[in-house]
Amino acid sequence: MSTYHSKRAKEFLKNPKKVERHDRTFWSLRQKRDAAAAQLPEWEDLREHASRIKEHTATHLADYLEQFTNSLERNGVIVHFAKDAQEFNEMVYGILESHKVKKLVKSKSMLTEECEMNPYLIKRGINVVESDLGERILQLMHLKPAHIVMPAIHLTRDEIGEMFEEKGISKEKGNHDPAYLTRCARENLRGDFMDAEAGLTGCNFGVAATGDCVVCTNEGNADMSTSIPKLHIVAMGIEKVIPDYDSLAVFQRLLARSGTGQPSTAFTSQFRKARPGGEMHVILVDNGRSDMIANKEHWMTLKCIRCGACMNTCPVYRRSGGYSYSYFIPGPIGVDLGMLKNPKQHSGNVSACSLCLSCDCVCPAKVTPGSQIYRWRQSLETYGTENKEKKVMAEGMKVVYENYHIYDALLRNSSVANHIPESLMDIKLNPWSIGHTMPKFAKKPFHVIFKHAMEEMKHE
Amino acid sequence: MPEKMMEGIKYQDVVQQFIEMSHTVGCEVIEAKADDDINELIQKAYPDAKVLASNVEGIKANLNPDTVAKAQDLNGTDVGIIQGDIAVAENGCVWLPQTMKERVVCFISENLVILVQRDKIVNNMHEAYKKIHMTDYGYGCFISGPSKTADIEQALVMGAQAARGVTVIIM
Amino acid sequence: MRVGLFIPCYVDALYPHVGVATFKLLKKLKVDVVYPERQTCCGQPMANGGFQRMSDHLAERFEDKFKDFDYVVIPSVSCAAFVRVNYPQILDHECQTPKKTVELVEFLHDVLKVKELPGSFPHVVSVHNSCHGVRELTLSTPSEFQEKPTNKIVELLKLKEGITVKEPDRKDECCGFGGMFAVEEAYVSTAMGTDKVKRHMDTGAEIITGSDSSCLMHMQGIVAKNHYPIKFMHVAEILAAGL
Repeated sequence: MSTYHSKRAKEFLKNPKKVERHDRTFWSLRQKRDAAAAQLPEWEDLREHASRIKEHTATHLADYLEQFTNSLERNGVIVHFAKDAQEFNEMVYGILESHKVKKLVKSKSMLTEECEMNPYLIKRGINVVESDLGERILQLMHLKPAHIVMPAIHLTRDEIGEMFEEKGISKEKGNHDPAYLTRCARENLRGDFMDAEAGLTGCNFGVAATGDCVVCTNEGNADMSTSIPKLHIVAMGIEKVIPDYDSLAVFQRLLARSGTGQPSTAFTSQFRKARPGGEMHVILVDNGRSDMIANKEHWMTLKCIRCGACMNTCPVYRRSGGYSYSYFIPGPIGVDLGMLKNPKQHSGNVSACSLCLSCDCVCPAKVTPGSQIYRWRQSLETYGTENKEKKVMAEGMKVVYENYHIYDALLRNSSVANHIPESLMDIKLNPWSIGHTMPKFAKKPFHVIFKHAMEEMKHE
Repeated sequence: MPEKMMEGIKYQDVVQQFIEMSHTVGCEVIEAKADDDINELIQKAYPDAKVLASNVEGIKANLNPDTVAKAQDLNGTDVGIIQGDIAVAENGCVWLPQTMKERVVCFISENLVILVQRDKIVNNMHEAYKKIHMTDYGYGCFISGPSKTADIEQALVMGAQAARGVTVIIM
Repeated sequence: MRVGLFIPCYVDALYPHVGVATFKLLKKLKVDVVYPERQTCCGQPMANGGFQRMSDHLAERFEDKFKDFDYVVIPSVSCAAFVRVNYPQILDHECQTPKKTVELVEFLHDVLKVKELPGSFPHVVSVHNSCHGVRELTLSTPSEFQEKPTNKIVELLKLKEGITVKEPDRKDECCGFGGMFAVEEAYVSTAMGTDKVKRHMDTGAEIITGSDSSCLMHMQGIVAKNHYPIKFMHVAEILAAGL
């Protein structure tokens, strides 16, 4: 009965202390989100606006991309269009090579994760330095992000502290105070900012009317990455374009409040031109997005602004961790994005949802990730990836429920099952017995009791 | 598209709300009086500062982001003093349009002093985005408090990669 | 007003007393209620598992059996939500039952507008807000929404004399049942259920109550396995107490 996700989740759940901390950490983010949203009487209205702006942009994407490109080019920005990950990586490398770049500092970008840009560049001799603290920690530990906003939050201060000692980043042995470790990382990264020849950032929003590439960070690392080197590369999925500043205001207000409960990220940086004497490149990446927008049942997944709120509220994510999912983005939105990307490969995540729909209610762009998962479940048969044992169960139910005489006979006799000893039920084949005692069947089902009662009434 | 654009929350006293939010996001706030000497206020706020960087008229500084040879020369700045533009009451954001050759002064300085005109404080981001402008440098940034991170066990630490402390002076 | 009563398959088999309490309660409130014969399941278990196509015959049958009633009342939120939200996608023709189907608490609160109930229930209960009741039927305001919180289950329970009504911390976090989710993701489901039960117990309640026996069944299974000292009752049983 197990899926990719359920097997990994089982492993994760073997460490109850870690699970408890993980659950508490992300639930506290959900609470902070609630508190921030409660400050704004227009909160639900904001979500509706965000949803409609994204819907509008998705249905007029070609026009807005053209407008965005024109705005950028007017300001001397060089715009590229990459159809897939391979082309994107080649383009980034091409730009770096032509500027003889040895070291690239970058801020957080889920797109570069998606395209696996870092290994591509490293293999070709580029020293790629992640500058977001969480991402830097993961890079040094050779780990993948476990959350899109707080990528390294699953690690403990001791794990990080020991690694810092080993790498010579921290000097005081045994001092694993987060403030101290953060200061060590700051000093260490400062050197990289000083001598990197290029900076790369993602892009949260691309404003078509003005050509602004808007990057939201708390650390200021996107600005550090792009204010010293002369070369700035922006990596951006085509769905990130929005019409204008009025729209930007809506998303800027929603993003941080939804993700971390802050009223704003510390930095909302808006780039529309290269530094004096420098060069700015924007690479617009499709990598399957055009097909996703054309998908009638699931295009809304691309309304996502990557705030992480759906993960924070997801009771399954909180108790199974980011590494239990096969796609690099975990949680409800990750289940959906993985299915859009490669349904056969990522079907094993579709079980990771109890359909509680809390994510539908927190999502600032009304992506409805949980309802999307319900729909993906319905399509697993077409990919041949449905859970076969579960299908047998469902088929069995269908036969019983559709044939009243079988149903009736079963229910009249089912209380016999109550006499099966518990020890016989506690077998591997019965996943219910992992956490539960079997429910007891009634001696007489309701429909029998009812019939008898009615007959008695007639006789009276 | 939605037919009507968002209006957004309005506050009875935008200045008070801005001050409150600035504190929430980790700023110090000084309300300057008409006869206050700004240089003295900065000196009092950062008595140990040795290297000050600014291109704001009338501000005493050892380094000028307009005239340094390269961005790296601003490393080691104790306090950078910047002229802010629009400030936002709902979230403590201040719009810093690039008005200097080396914008890194806004990030590389250990501490940042942002000067804000009282009459430039607006209610919310909808109003702010109607009012901000870009200079010819083609870069601007809303800053809401010091650089921060909670990447290690969710412990909030000020001063990740950019300024560790921010003081807003309302004039 | 003619009301058709639908008793879901698992209530029929495992919790017939919930059906009895519901019927008794409706009768007491002078509702013209009918329990049509030969009913089984609404089709939800297969659909939630990813086999909605296996639910279409059951949906047709449900529509056929109940379309002429003024209301269809179901003492189970997830089944009522399934009919209301999913049937319009499953049935490829105009259908009546999604518009007419209400969950028991909704029916009492919104249709009958019950303002008093005889009988006392001198116990401390913790209300289990089932996800589909919260987020599809809005029996209570979802905690995600920034609106003034209301809760129809709590309001009704408070009509009973002597009752103390509590809600757990994280009042509408999922208990982890989710139909086949509980067997496919047994470990996560059990972890969710265990956390949920503990939060209910932390309220000091003697009884966990709710309007979905499937969530209650899941938690009851966990409670029995761990011998936790807490009991379960469907809302209908409490509302019908002492009638």
